[in-house]
Amino acid sequence: MTEKVRRLSGRRELEELIQTCISIENRRFNPFLLDITEALRIIRRHSNQLRTIDDHLLDMRAITSVARVVGLQSANLRFQSSALFVDPSMVQQKLDSLSREQMAEFLLLSWHPIVELEQLTLASTKEAKEFWERMLSFFERRKRLHLGPFVSPDAADFEELARMHVVEEKAYTRKMQDLWKELKESAEKDERVDYWNFIRGSDFAATIARAQLVSFLVTYGYANLQRKGNSMFLVPKARPDPHPEGSPLSFPIPITKEVLIRAK
Amino acid sequence: MLFFKRGRVPGARSWELKTGLGKGYTKVLEQLDESLKDLDLEVKKVEPQTLSDYKPGPDDGEEESRYFVRLKGTLAPKEARLCGWRIDNLAALAAALALVVSKQGRSERKELETIIGNKAGRWRALTLMDTFLRSGYLEEDEEGLVKLGWRTRAELDLPSLMMLLAESKAPSAESSEPVEDDQASIEG
Repeated sequence: MTEKVRRLSGRRELEELIQTCISIENRRFNPFLLDITEALRIIRRHSNQLRTIDDHLLDMRAITSVARVVGLQSANLRFQSSALFVDPSMVQQKLDSLSREQMAEFLLLSWHPIVELEQLTLASTKEAKEFWERMLSFFERRKRLHLGPFVSPDAADFEELARMHVVEEKAYTRKMQDLWKELKESAEKDERVDYWNFIRGSDFAATIARAQLVSFLVTYGYANLQRKGNSMFLVPKARPDPHPEGSPLSFPIPITKEVLIRAK
Repeated sequence: MLFFKRGRVPGARSWELKTGLGKGYTKVLEQLDESLKDLDLEVKKVEPQTLSDYKPGPDDGEEESRYFVRLKGTLAPKEARLCGWRIDNLAALAAALALVVSKQGRSERKELETIIGNKAGRWRALTLMDTFLRSGYLEEDEEGLVKLGWRTRAELDLPSLMMLLAESKAPSAESSEPVEDDQASIEG
């Protein structure tokens, strides 16, 4: 039993070690955060508990992961001693503090764009001409696809295209305007409407569509979203009041079928 | 051969030049470099190990270097705008490259999008990242990490960029502009 527990804890330690190495390889941590001596000590400690092929594979993965981290440490040292070394956190700070104009200027001062031209050559034109001449006619190529008798193209009117969902029946702005009007009418009495009641549509898809439109109404200043405890209310505005500097905050509202049932 | 783009990457490989010009092609390139100076252009050789989309074979050496013609000097902001570059895009590229370099040539895409997003807006950060990847300034590896692309190796003087960044001072409060909001990003 003790042997089994020791093996399990050994496997867990090796898996954690591999995970740490993967995180380092994915640049989430500095490679020097891993103490190689300690990592090797862990691998060595469990080396006498390797029984199955899976144990050996895990051991091998741990060794190769540590080796890759050693490679990264070596690359890191070489990089630090080169002219390109700048601490990533310092770079991030600089990037946050610099204006766009300054950064663009730095790039321009270090940038030597390649001169490249694109044009037709005699050889490529000849090739294109030959391809065109050799190409079978549309009807010949169609025959090969076994699509049956050819039906001439037909005209479709707007309603038909809308039915096929190729075009929207109403433009998005128009939909927003209509929903804003509906919101104002619903809120005539209390000057506000319960969010969940308002967004509810005939089915789940319609509810999501209404919620999306409502989010645009709030973003563009057609309505305000108020929170009181667990309830949310929509308060329409008489005139849209867009925030030119963008919405001051983002408020995600997860909409799941469960939430809608609860809000009923 | 150097000017005209054939395929995805411009320039010419050393073996192509060797075939076209003979063994002494390097001397021809030196002469070309000399002649291009008057036009403020130069011939740039990019070594195979720095062309990240190329995997050298066992006997490859000089054979697989790629040569480009590039601007010897630099562009003024006005000239860059004439080439179709917006200040925002240049700033975003500078930020992305600086971050990747500081992380030793590889960084997570999300991290880059956040950094670009701070300068150009959240939505534009996504499209700009795609643009930089498509044009070869950045490349994404099998693990989803972003590294410097072939175009960066050919066009950018990275030590100079990092030096300028390290020596920079933040602008005064009056001259710094607020970051464009998301609405502007949607419109843009």
